[in-house]
Amino acid sequence: MSHRPVEPPVRRSFETWSWFFMRLSGLALVFLALVHFAITHIVNDVVETDYRFVADRWENPLWRLFDWALLALALAHGANGLRWIIDDYVRRPRRQMVARAALYSLSGLLFLAGTLTILLFPT
Amino acid sequence: MGRPLVRPSVTPLKTATTYKGKSGQWAFLGHRVSGFLVFLFLLLHIVDVSMVRWPSVYDEIHALYGNVLLRLFEVGLLFALLFHTLNGLRIVAVDFFPGAVARERRMLGAVVALTVLAGVPGGYVILKPFLDGL
Repeated sequence: MSHRPVEPPVRRSFETWSWFFMRLSGLALVFLALVHFAITHIVNDVVETDYRFVADRWENPLWRLFDWALLALALAHGANGLRWIIDDYVRRPRRQMVARAALYSLSGLLFLAGTLTILLFPT
Repeated sequence: MGRPLVRPSVTPLKTATTYKGKSGQWAFLGHRVSGFLVFLFLLLHIVDVSMVRWPSVYDEIHALYGNVLLRLFEVGLLFALLFHTLNGLRIVAVDFFPGAVARERRMLGAVVALTVLAGVPGGYVILKPFLDGL
């Protein structure tokens, strides 16, 4: 380990913003993900969180907003993390492109599915 | 995309992922593995929650989460989530507060200790319905 803090590069490149985004979204996710896990596994038992439970909770638009923020930030944070992993282990440009394309399409598709689920759920 | 897929500044794999085998190496590995596992679960979880459009399908799939094997899986998820969260806070501290660098090893100790301290009682709560049914 280096004994000096890592200074972000002066030029604000895409990777600088990516680095910054991981810290910011990470801090938000400390709250969002842990509260979500506590509600669905600690405060309530997991078998209690059935359809009725979701319907009751989503009566309140603020919970929908909470869940959507968690969906968006967790997906973006996770997809960017997996992009870093792909960059480290998939070195050949063609394979890297295929792996990235698969990651982006899967994440995009699930973001769409999750967004529509929250948005279109009947009140 | 307009930029090279392999960034020229990236050093080869052997050095890029090595922190000289010290504690930072294990923190890095733990962060990467826990993040990867939580992300895989997230993908699965979005699919199962999307079934809520069809209440009976959702409830049928959802009932599986009460199974003891999936409860053990949820305990694993809790530990991965706790470690990734706490170590992430350690990374933020090291990146933004110069004074934290000298203490990063002790902070890693605190990360592991807090993961266990919160994970064990949390895991007990998750497994309790199964343990009570024995």
